[in-house]
Amino acid sequence: MDEQLLARTFVELADNLVADFDLIDFLRLLTDRCVSMLDASAAGVLLADRNGELRVMAASDEQVRLLELFQLQSDEGPCLECFRTGAPVTVPDLRTQADRWPHFAEAARLCGFGAVQALPMRLRNEVVGALNLFRAAPGPFDPAATPLAQALADVATISLLQQRSAHRSTVLNEQLQTALNSRVLIEQAKGKLAERQGVDMEQAFTALRDYARAHNRRLADLAHAFIEGAEPLPGLNT
Amino acid sequence: MNAGRSARITLLVAEQAARRGARVGVVDVCTAAVAALPVGGAGVSAMSDTTACHPLCSTDVVSEQMEELQLTLGEGPCIDAFAFRLAVLTPDLRTDEVRARWPVFAISAIEAGAAAVFALPLQIGAISPGVLALYADAPVELDAEELADALAFADAATLVLLDSRLEEPDAFPAEGPPRDGHVEDLGGYRAEIDQATGMLTVQLGVGIEEALVRLRAYAYAYGRRLADVAADVVAHRLRLPPDPDPDPDPDPGPGEGGAEEG
Repeated sequence: MDEQLLARTFVELADNLVADFDLIDFLRLLTDRCVSMLDASAAGVLLADRNGELRVMAASDEQVRLLELFQLQSDEGPCLECFRTGAPVTVPDLRTQADRWPHFAEAARLCGFGAVQALPMRLRNEVVGALNLFRAAPGPFDPAATPLAQALADVATISLLQQRSAHRSTVLNEQLQTALNSRVLIEQAKGKLAERQGVDMEQAFTALRDYARAHNRRLADLAHAFIEGAEPLPGLNT
Repeated sequence: MNAGRSARITLLVAEQAARRGARVGVVDVCTAAVAALPVGGAGVSAMSDTTACHPLCSTDVVSEQMEELQLTLGEGPCIDAFAFRLAVLTPDLRTDEVRARWPVFAISAIEAGAAAVFALPLQIGAISPGVLALYADAPVELDAEELADALAFADAATLVLLDSRLEEPDAFPAEGPPRDGHVEDLGGYRAEIDQATGMLTVQLGVGIEEALVRLRAYAYAYGRRLADVAADVVAHRLRLPPDPDPDPDPDPGPGEGGAEEG
């Protein structure tokens, strides 16, 4: 465990929480840091909508996003189990789980993942989602890293509360709704930019995020302005 | 009882339409919401950043007055819900906080007989065609379940508003719209649908709302699942036909003829 990196990550996350906050950008930062700190190959965050169905809110790369989507579609896998039970699910070797999750185990293998850990995102008494860590090589997860991963999952959960504005009553339901809608907004903007520039969705996201950071804009605001045609994104290089 | 909330709300709305013997409209969302929630009235106003907003429907005199009032005054929960794209929940209009925020509206609303207002923006990402507002004649709080239902009614209203544009014949390729008044719920919403919608704004040279209307129209017309059509668009396996509207389009986009590719 690189303690300097750990300290830097929490400083960075805390900075993001108090600064002009953007949930999608924050969750993406969190998944990226999970990868660099926790010896994971990929990470994803899923949140439940009000139907109790999980939706992908952030993923460290497009491949893991697709795998997360696959879990949702086939209705099986460690993330769903973690969400439904509210308990962490740790699978050091996915090859042994073909009976438990036949579709997911195969899909994960095709994506090049050998081990997975899913940690619940809890807010008060409610499980609102799950943080998932994927690793290419099978093998046990470092027991010392698990509390740290859970702490990152908790930070992700707390970040949802940042969605509040001074001008309204806040209810968890509604905060989740706002969070999910900003995800929709980003996906719409990715689609528009990808089509316009002839790039893939991941490249489009990176370009949007880099532009937002370089111009000190909230990602969701930039995405909205871009879709409305109010933000031509001059100088955007993809 | 979370599973199937959207489906349950969709059914409630469809029942109201059946009772009227008409196709599903936003008024059915309003009457269904009033029947299901501890509120006395409901209304939907169409709103846009660029054009004047206008009330589309309301279930009673109080809600009608409330819709008109906010549009006339230019202040109130609905105006804020649209401006901030956030739900504005006001369980009691008589508080000092409410009076400070909307000085004229707060007094006029109470005179009109309202005591609580819950204003919910209709939105799918950047698509935001209006606001659903629920009114009660006594102070009332919505609990978590009721609020979740209210948000689901707002989703239903969003889709009904978009679908009302499907009746415009030009929205369809060849086959024309389906006749079953089917309203797809948002529960199965996936990123590909949003990405495809964004892509279509460029391909078809239309706004984001029109892009989603076209995507849904295509799925209906060919009897396919929206998510499948969207996945094909994202994978460049499918290109929607360009604007079927014979009127000249100022920005027709790069789309070329032929619905299917590859």
